[in-house]
Parts: sequence; C-alpha cells; structure tokens
Amino acid sequence: MIALEHYIAVSSLLFSIGFLGVLFRKNTLVMYMCLELMLNACNLGLIAFSRFHGGMSGNLFVFFIITVAAAEVAVGLAIIVALFRKRQTVEVEELNALKD
Amino acid sequence: MTDIFFYIFSMLALACAFGVVFSRNTVNGAMFLIGTFLSMASLFVLLEAYFLAVIQVLVYAGAVMVLFLFIIMLLDVKETAARKANVYTWAASLIGFGILIVGVVAINSADSIKTQAETLPEAQGVSLKNFGYELFTTYLLPMQVTGFLLLIAMVGVIALSKRLDSQ
Amino acid sequence: MNPETYAYALLAFPLLSATAIAFCFRRSGAVASGVSVGAAALILATALHIIFKVENFEYSVSWIEMGSLNVDFGFLIDDLAKLMLFVVAFVGFLVHVFSLGYMKDDPNKARFFGGLSIFMFSMLGIVVANSLVTLFIFWELVGFSSYMLIGFYLDKPSAAAASKKAFITNRVGDFGMLIGIIMAFSMFGSLNLTDLSDAFGKDASLLETAGVTAIGLLLFCGTVGKSGQLPLHVWLPDAMEGPTPVSALIHAATMVAAGVFLLCRTGFLMTFDALTVITWVGVATALFAGFTAVAQRDIKKILAYSTVSQLGYMVAAFGLGSLAAFHGNGGDHAHMGEAVVTGGVAAAMFHLTTHAFFKALLFLGSGSVIHACHHEQDIFKMGGLKSKMRITFWMFTIAVLALTGFPMLAGFFSKDAILAVALEANSAAFYLLVFGAFLTAFYMTRLWIIAFLGEPKSENAEHAHENGPVMTVPLIILAVLSVIGGYVGFYPEVVGGVINAIPHPDSAAHTTILIASLVAVFAGYGISYFFYGAGAKEDRLESAAKPLHTLLAEKFYFDHAYDWYVAKVQQRVASILHFTEQIALAGLIIRGMAGFAGLIGIGLKALHVGNIHVYVYWFIGGLALLWALTGIF
Repeated sequence: MIALEHYIAVSSLLFSIGFLGVLFRKNTLVMYMCLELMLNACNLGLIAFSRFHGGMSGNLFVFFIITVAAAEVAVGLAIIVALFRKRQTVEVEELNALKD
Repeated sequence: MTDIFFYIFSMLALACAFGVVFSRNTVNGAMFLIGTFLSMASLFVLLEAYFLAVIQVLVYAGAVMVLFLFIIMLLDVKETAARKANVYTWAASLIGFGILIVGVVAINSADSIKTQAETLPEAQGVSLKNFGYELFTTYLLPMQVTGFLLLIAMVGVIALSKRLDSQ
Repeated sequence: MNPETYAYALLAFPLLSATAIAFCFRRSGAVASGVSVGAAALILATALHIIFKVENFEYSVSWIEMGSLNVDFGFLIDDLAKLMLFVVAFVGFLVHVFSLGYMKDDPNKARFFGGLSIFMFSMLGIVVANSLVTLFIFWELVGFSSYMLIGFYLDKPSAAAASKKAFITNRVGDFGMLIGIIMAFSMFGSLNLTDLSDAFGKDASLLETAGVTAIGLLLFCGTVGKSGQLPLHVWLPDAMEGPTPVSALIHAATMVAAGVFLLCRTGFLMTFDALTVITWVGVATALFAGFTAVAQRDIKKILAYSTVSQLGYMVAAFGLGSLAAFHGNGGDHAHMGEAVVTGGVAAAMFHLTTHAFFKALLFLGSGSVIHACHHEQDIFKMGGLKSKMRITFWMFTIAVLALTGFPMLAGFFSKDAILAVALEANSAAFYLLVFGAFLTAFYMTRLWIIAFLGEPKSENAEHAHENGPVMTVPLIILAVLSVIGGYVGFYPEVVGGVINAIPHPDSAAHTTILIASLVAVFAGYGISYFFYGAGAKEDRLESAAKPLHTLLAEKFYFDHAYDWYVAKVQQRVASILHFTEQIALAGLIIRGMAGFAGLIGIGLKALHVGNIHVYVYWFIGGLALLWALTGIF
C-alpha cells in the first residue's frame, strides 16, 4: 500500500537532489534547471497532501505554481541572456560584481 | 498493481534527477530534466490528478524545457571541465548533504504525515469541472492576478531582451 | 451655579488674559493693558462674590491616577482662603490700575501686563488649592512669573542677574519643599489638605514623631525660599530691579506672603521642635533685615528689607502663636487640631493682610516718587518732595505710620497681636521683636525724613510734580485701608474663622505690651529725627560709626559668601561632573556602543563574498536552524 510517507519521501529526495545541484554546479543554466527540479518536488508534495487529506486546494495551488514558474523561467532566462551579452560568461564564479 | 508503477516511476525520477545534477553536457542535463518531468507526470496520474499531469507535460516539458534548450543553444554553452574540488568544498558539500538527508528523514518520521484514514477520501482532481468551478469562485482573485503576472512577465522579457544601443 | 464654577472662573480670567496677550496683543500695549486690567476687575468681582455669597466648600476632581498615587485637582475655600483671596484680588486690582499710569510710556508694556496676568493666575491657584501637589505646581508658576517680571527690563544685565538669582534661590527652597511633600505622601498616602488634617485630628500622637517634624521643616524650606527668610533672603532686595508695580504686588503683598500662607495651611502638622526652629528663623530674619535696612540708600532696597523684616515677623508670629497653643493646652494633644490652627495662624494672617495694604501703598508711593523724579532711586538725591507731591506725601506718611505701629492705625493692632503671642510663648523672643519694632521705626523715619523733608538735593527732585489720578487714587484707597484695616469690626463675618481667633492678651500682659511697643516706636522716631534732623545731606550714621555701617551696608556680607561658594565649591563640583560625563558617558558608553555597532557592520560585510555558492551554503545553514527550531530534528 502506497501511503503518504512514500510520496513525501520521494518529494524530499528530489528536493535535496535539486538543492545539491544548485550547490555543486557552476553553470548558471544548470543551476536554474536544478531550481526547476526543486519546484517540481514541491508540486509533488502538494498534490500528495491534497490527495490524501481531501480537498482541492493543493491541486489548485500546484496549478498556480506551474503558471508562475513558467513566467519565472521566461524572465530568468531573459536575465541570463542579458548577463551573457554583458559579461560573455555564464559561470557563476565570474559574476561577483556585488562583492563589496 | 499501482504500487509497482509507483516504484518504477519514482526510481526513474530519482535517476533522471541525478543525471541532471551530474551530467557534463548541458543538453544532456536538459534531456534528463525532461525525463524527470515525465516521470513526475506519471506520479501525478497515480495520485489521480489527471489534469495537472497533462498540464505538467504541456507546460513544463513542452514549453519551459524547449525554451531552456533554445537558450542553451543560443549561448553556446561548452562542456564543463571536471572541477577541481578542494578540501573545503568537499567538507561543506558533505555537511550540506548530511543536513538534507537528516531533514528528509525527520520530515518523513513526523507524525503529521502518517495517514490515519483507513479508506482514502474521494479523489477530487478527477473531474475537470471541479477544477474550473473552484478556479472561478474561490480562487478568482489569484487567477486574475496570475493573468496580470503573465502579462508583466512578457513585457519584462521583451524589455530585457532589447539590445541597449547606448551601452 | 455651582460654587466651583466661580473658582474655575477665578482662575480662567487671568489665564485667558495672559494667553490672549501672549498670542495676539504682543505689539499693541494699549489693548494688552486694557485686557489685563479688565481681567483684574473681573477677578475682583468674582472674588468678592465668592467671599460674600458662596459658602465654604471643598471640591475636587480626580486628575492623576497612577497605581497608588491619586492626585486630585480641586478647590478648598474656607475662611483662610477667603481672607487671602480678598488681599490678592484687591491689591492686585489696585496695582493693575496703578500700572496703567506707571508703565504708560514703556514700549514693552504688553509683556508686562501679560506677566501680571499670569502672576494673578498662579497666585490665585495657590490660594484656592486643596492639595499640596496643586499648590506646589502653582508655587512654581508664581516663581516663574516673578522671574519673568523681575527681568522685565531686558537691556539691564543687573535685572537679568537678579531674576536668575530669584529663581535659583526659590528653587533651593522648593527642593526642600518637594522632599517634604514626598515624605508626606509616603507617610500618609494622600496629599489632600483636608485628608492630612483629618489624619492629625484623629491621631494627635503623630505630632510626637520625628518624621512629622521633618515634614514640617521641609515644607518650611519652601517658605524660607519664597518668603525670603534667612538664609535665602538674598533674592528679595535684588528683585527690586523689576518695575515698581511688580515690587508692590509680588514682592510685598502677595507672592512673598504665599510662604506664610503655606505655613498657615499646613499648621496642623507642625510639631513643637519644628515650631521652635520656625520661630527663631523668623525672629532672626526680622532683626537681620531691620539692621540692614538702616544703612541702605536706595528707596526700594529699604522697602525690600523692610518687607523681609515684616515677613520675619509673620513667620515668628505663626511659630510663637502655635507654641503658645502647645503651652496653653498643657501638652494635651487631643485638642491640638483646632487650637494650633487658629492662634498663630490668625496673628500671622492678620499681619499679612495689614502688611499687604501698607507695604503696597509704600511701594506704589515710592513708585510715584521715582516716576516723578525721573527714575532717581537714591534717597540722598531726593528731598523736599513734601511741597511738590502733596497727595503722595500724605499717603506715604500714613503708610509709614501704619508700618511702624503708630497707635490706632492698622499696623499697631497687628503688631500688638504678634507681641501678645510672643509674650505668652517666649519672653526672649518678645524682647527681640520689640527691638525689631524700634529698628522699623528708626529706618522708616530715616527714609521719610530724607526723601520728603528738607531741601531738594538734586535737579530731579527740583522738578518733581504730582502724578495723575490713575496713580494717586490707588494710593488713597490703600491709605484708607491702612487706617481702618486694623479694626476687627472692619472684617465681615465670612472670614470670622480667622479673625475671631486673633489672640487678645489679658489686661496685665496687655499693659506690658502696650508700654513696650509704644516706647520702642517713639524711641525710634526720636532717635532717627536726632540723627537725620530735617533733611541731612549725607548719612550721619555713616560718618559716626563707619565699620558698623559698612557691615550693615554690605548686608552682612551674605552676597559675598554666596558668590564665594558658587565660584569655588560649586564650580569645582560641576567641573568634576563634566569630566566624568565626557569620559564615561559620552566616551565609553555612547561612542562605545556606536563603535560596537560599527564592528558588527564590518563583520557582516565580510560575509558578502560575491560567490553564489557560499550564499547557498548559508541558506542550508539557515534551513537547518529553522528545522531545529520547529522541532523536526
């Protein structure tokens, strides 16, 4: 019997993996993809809760998350492109102008 | 029967996630991410949220990842070399990993997520009609705001993408 | 109408007048003077109404409630208050009218009348106050008005110095008074005058305790400051820098009498020891001021020292009368509540009333003289004014006779009452006070002879002429009161509570007193006439006994002593404190804390390395902390 704990375990593991990806990778684009992974893990968790505790609010929240994440990706990628035009790099370690 | 599907798809999702994180080639990473999304869509189906599963495939795997691939190819990202990890990076990474694992286990063993009900309540994500109804009554304001948000995002992207001649 | 409405109106009139002048009429002196005199007239009308038509009452409304501290604002109108109210309102009105003439040519008279109005407000507040706290508040306000009016002439640095001296000396006295009020509150839990007197009425053994003695003496400190007793008398003579109507109203008739009024109000809590101290301070002041007045040249300074001396008489009367009541009851404290209140209180209040009349007359008369002689104040530059200013001369003469205690005039009866209680309580004090009467007669006659008789000694005196009716009519009214004010029958029944308690000595004592006072007074007249003859050119006493004269002229070197104290002792203490403040407070604590905040800032700045991964690690750290706090771990 697949209970809530299993889904939550999967969700948390996916979240952790995404987080580690953000930690380990230097390329901005890959970091961004890992961020999307984290968002999806949250979606899974929300839907699991919604399913096992009844009610629609979890599903609707996921609906909104997907919408907003799409918009966010568009804007974030536009920023990365603009940054690339200016600095000619997408390596995070080179983008440290805000240091002092 | 559904249990086996759960295990298959969750393993698949985890494996693709590892692939995203550890792949050298960025395009490979993007493909692995698409794989993750598809597995998660299947998990959504297992959780009887059919509409959301389809939305996930359409929006995420269909539009967002395509956009990602466009940008990857536009920026012509090269393969990353193997990074030289010094001691500090390893130590910090292991500590971070440890904290996350402990967190995951702690969440899982918390009482609040143990299901008490013998029988599951009726799945409500099944009918699209419910979805639409809720969206236009209880969650009307968030929906309208999200509409505005998309408009603003579009305007923002256009503004950010213009070449600044004066620079 | 409720009785308290009249009391509120009494306070409202001068307050509104002062506010209106302060905000609207600063420039237009004529309007301001009209408003102020109008307010004074309304005050007089209301006061007369309260005195004659309103029964004695007490009214209070809860004002501050903080835990166990309940301060009420209210009015206590009894016979004592009514008598004082009459004095303040009547003399105040006459002085306002006189000021119309005296200040006519002064460009700043709007400020003057504003100050007079605020003074009336504060003084009336003291008179009608029903609790020590509200009395103290108005007490301080009176000190402020006095400061403002003494320093009225902004271009005279001596006036500014005098106003500062007055305020600071008052403050020293008020500090003691405040401690006394706090002690009274801690001992009795309430500061309402009726509550306190009830507490003493119930339990007369309270009068034995040292704590109550302390309270009495501390409250007396306020009187020492405000009424110019030794050693805080130094401000009164300097306060003559203010315009003469101010001296007449504030520093002769009303404000300085507020100290005596306070004693009378709190008479029920004076113990035997406290009363002894009060008596001797009063006697010492009376003699000291009398001696000093003998050697002064400025007409207003002579009158100022005369005021100090008479205040000493009032304070001594209060002390002696209350002591006599102690003796009279043979130590029976059970009836102390009623007897002590009336004997000494009545004598002091009687002398306060008569003194207000003739001292105000003296000051206004001197103001008239000064105005006519173009602001010449040295008596050795006046002379021969008898023929030039007839009305002023005769009114002044009446006042001098009344002050010195010429038989059948007001001062005679009030001094008699004081000497009666002195004889009964303490014969040493009696003889000293008789000597004081001799001194009073001596220096007042000296003043009268030199200023008015003989030949004019200077140009200004040559050209002196009488002033208009605005300035002479108040003199006449006050002179009439100085004559008839001594007769008990003059006072209406409404203030009978005080008047009926004036001590009347029995026949044997009465003869002694009569003879002693008459001998002293006429000896004073005679010896003074001998020394100064008809118009002496310079002070014969000075040439006769130079060292003694210098001692007296320098006011027993009191001012010099205070100056030395401030310069040497106080300045050094202030320097030490300044040094400590610079090092410890400003340096260590304030700049130290600023530096500490700066250090934290620098530390936090080091965290911003610009490397995103480091930030993400901090993120994990924060996440772990949150988990720990919520108990997931």
